[in-house]
Amino acid sequence: MITQRIWYAVAAVGIMLAGTQSLKAAEQVKVDVAVAKPYLLAGQKQTSYIRVGLTGVPINDTGPRTSVNVAIVLDKSGSMTGEKLRKAKDAALASIDRLGPNDIVSVIAYDQTVDVLVPATKVSDRQTLRASIEKLSAGGSTALFAGVSKAAAEVRKFLDRQRVNRIILLSDGQANVGPSSPADLGNLGASLIKEGISVTTLGLGLDYNEDLMTQLARKSDGNHYFIENSTDLARQFGYEFDDVLSVVAQEVTVGITCGAGVRPIRVLGREADITGQTVTTYVNQVYGNQEKYVLLEVEVPAQQAGTERNIANVNVSYVNMASKSPHKIARGASTRFTSSASLVESNTNATVMTSAIEQIAVERNKQAVSLRDQGKIEEARKVLLDNSAFLSENAVKYNSKELEDYKGKNRKDADNLAPAVWEAQRKAILSEQNVRQSQQGQGQNRQ
Amino acid sequence: MAQQEQEVVENRFREALTGRLRDINTTILRSVEKRETELLRLLDRGSYETAELRELVRKSPFIHSVFVLDAAGNRLHPPPEGPITDYEREFLERSGQIWRDKQTFYNSSEATAEGSSHGWYTWYWGNGVNLLFWLRDASGRVIGAEYDRSRMLADIVGDLPNSDASDPDLQRARIALIGGDGIAVYQWGTYEPGQNEPPRVRLDLNHPLDAWSLVYFAPAAESGQALSRGMLFNFAAGMTALVLAMIGLSSYFYRESTREVREAAERVSFVNQVSHELKTPLTNIRMYAELLEQNLPENDNKAAEQLGVIVSESQRLSRLIGNVLTFARKRNDKLALHSTAGSVDQCIQFVLDHFKAILEAKNVKTVFTGGANGTVEFDRDALEQILGNLFSNVEKYAAGGGLLDVTSRQNGSTTSIIISDRGPGIPRGQEEKIFDPFHRLSNKLSDGVTGTGIGLTIARDLARRHGGDLRAIASDTGARFELQINTPPSTSPLKERHA
Repeated sequence: MITQRIWYAVAAVGIMLAGTQSLKAAEQVKVDVAVAKPYLLAGQKQTSYIRVGLTGVPINDTGPRTSVNVAIVLDKSGSMTGEKLRKAKDAALASIDRLGPNDIVSVIAYDQTVDVLVPATKVSDRQTLRASIEKLSAGGSTALFAGVSKAAAEVRKFLDRQRVNRIILLSDGQANVGPSSPADLGNLGASLIKEGISVTTLGLGLDYNEDLMTQLARKSDGNHYFIENSTDLARQFGYEFDDVLSVVAQEVTVGITCGAGVRPIRVLGREADITGQTVTTYVNQVYGNQEKYVLLEVEVPAQQAGTERNIANVNVSYVNMASKSPHKIARGASTRFTSSASLVESNTNATVMTSAIEQIAVERNKQAVSLRDQGKIEEARKVLLDNSAFLSENAVKYNSKELEDYKGKNRKDADNLAPAVWEAQRKAILSEQNVRQSQQGQGQNRQ
Repeated sequence: MAQQEQEVVENRFREALTGRLRDINTTILRSVEKRETELLRLLDRGSYETAELRELVRKSPFIHSVFVLDAAGNRLHPPPEGPITDYEREFLERSGQIWRDKQTFYNSSEATAEGSSHGWYTWYWGNGVNLLFWLRDASGRVIGAEYDRSRMLADIVGDLPNSDASDPDLQRARIALIGGDGIAVYQWGTYEPGQNEPPRVRLDLNHPLDAWSLVYFAPAAESGQALSRGMLFNFAAGMTALVLAMIGLSSYFYRESTREVREAAERVSFVNQVSHELKTPLTNIRMYAELLEQNLPENDNKAAEQLGVIVSESQRLSRLIGNVLTFARKRNDKLALHSTAGSVDQCIQFVLDHFKAILEAKNVKTVFTGGANGTVEFDRDALEQILGNLFSNVEKYAAGGGLLDVTSRQNGSTTSIIISDRGPGIPRGQEEKIFDPFHRLSNKLSDGVTGTGIGLTIARDLARRHGGDLRAIASDTGARFELQINTPPSTSPLKERHA
């Protein structure tokens, strides 16, 4: 009986491998669908997770990189005066040096008003570009919303789904002219992503509004970086351009249809539309050598031992940036039912579980922030310590370095809740949450 | 003499600035119109499959949410039964006001059913004005789309000028777009106005963004720069005036040429215009709400009283909407009058009290000489509406005159009320024309004033339905109206409705 089940498991893995093998060479996204528990205990309703992994296959193996259409938006409010603005200019100039003649760039600077220093143009006349950025001086307040709106207008002049359309926003202060709530900016981001424009936000120093900056990035599927010291600006700008220049697929839609009786509960860490049995979520870009994943929590009804159930069918569609053509990939996931607890345990998929634990830990980390925001320092500390214990236990169980790393961060967060350090810590925490929820790369694409 | 010429120059200067703001207003309206065209194309679709509508929301960058109503006003989408997304649930909660008060939205769209069958509906939620575009199909179903608020702001900001430091026009100017909450949405120009510096000119935007305004700041020396040049004064002032006159003239021709197009659009979207009519009571509501805010901690009784005003104002507003829409739908039918027993003078006083704050704010003194205190039968709502329209004209056109004089008298079954002001008055020969719908005096008198041009039409129509008339009387000292209504003496005891 048991050997038979093992055989099934081997066969299932074999089929999965065969599926991977049969991928056409032209595929730019590798799709892995897996369930947390290929075997579930029979006779009871239970929770499981479906993980859809999307890994970018670098284009440099298959052709020229995707050209980009990028708007750099620089804060030139009074607080940027001196060193900060100098470093920001250097970082912007260094980034533009990495662009080629087929790329489009625009540069926008804002204080209480907005100045379009370089209207969207092909990167050909580098001298003029450089001069326009160099002449920038700081002073005034922060019309962040208008800065992004103007940048969007510049990007739109050459809007093309076959390019990487991106706004890179640098700010060191609170938006104080025009719409300035996290929701206002979040909605703007949600609108821009529908056109394929992502906004990456770089928060510099300790005075920017991290809620606003992370919302804008999350809702538009851009990256977010917390840059405490301006000496780090060039490096972080570099990471961002590593990503921008390594996009292999865009307009990635992941549709998950749950099998009969299986109830979708929620998607962890990402926004998704859930209607009935169907779950749809959207990722604007997949970068080469980076994995993004969609993690769906489902409720699986009680089932007799020895039976099998289709948990979900997954449809991934995307635009291949090498061939500029749409691709579709379909995958299925099923679970078998057993009365053997050890079989359930030994077959548990560590990758899926690690992702699930990570996302749950992010949610608990968010709870801690919310408690700390209400001034409940002790309660926040307890949540963080519990979270760190939870991560520690699972890091051992699933032998995960990622979870071990996040355990350490939660432990550190718990020690940095005092008013004197909270401002900086909060920015680090939100940035970390975002990195984990959107699987943001940290420079591993450096070429 | 110099003083006077300086004033003339200053006025011309302000006129030129107003002209510029008007052009910007056009830019903003065009930004919204672009979306209107796009929305018309997207929403004109005959079938309303849930999956297709969801796809529409998912794909369109400026549609935040959509809904569909059947011909009876019942919701078809988001599906009343069957699963909806969190996003749709959130929209339904947020737009609850529309579902609770279905008739308001529905009536506003029905009024235009004969002519155009689409338009903008404005509602206030969250941080301010939200725009909803609706379209009625041949079978009477209505599909509506919420123009994402953040996106609308970003679109407008995208279409407005940048702060280009090399533009000489902008070097001594700061222009700002002010939202309904009084806070700048967007601004440009290199001039930095002082903390409490008042703008040189202000212009309210047109529907559907009529809660917004544009302001223009410029250094005080700007218009009078030429004046300080001593000997050159007259020449310089003359040149300035000439240049400004040229600007004025070209802007006049531009406006005249676009006027026909504009007027056609105005007639088409009648409901849009009606909402202008709602502006005055809304202003009252806001003003009293502000008063309430200030007074609340000190004196609760007073606050309660003012709260009462807010409530009755909003009631008046809904009556007004009802009346105007009925009027628009059934222009040829008799508008039903509901006469009750009451005192005309009390009614006049009541309306005057409502305008008191707003008129005082504009330095207009009100003088009321009552002579119609008998208990008579009349439609209080109709009279309030007539007087409201007349008083609001004083506020709009004649605030500079500083006086509103109201005199009433009764003779048998007829009550006469004379309303006069000290404003610029009505040009000879125009005394009848002003009652035509959409008629506006095409000179500077009405410049900078927003309005529909249906206020007087409605007022006269109501007066005539009330067995009387409303006429403009030629006068040398401002505008003068005589209102007559039929008011038979009451047989029933007096009932005070506003007590």
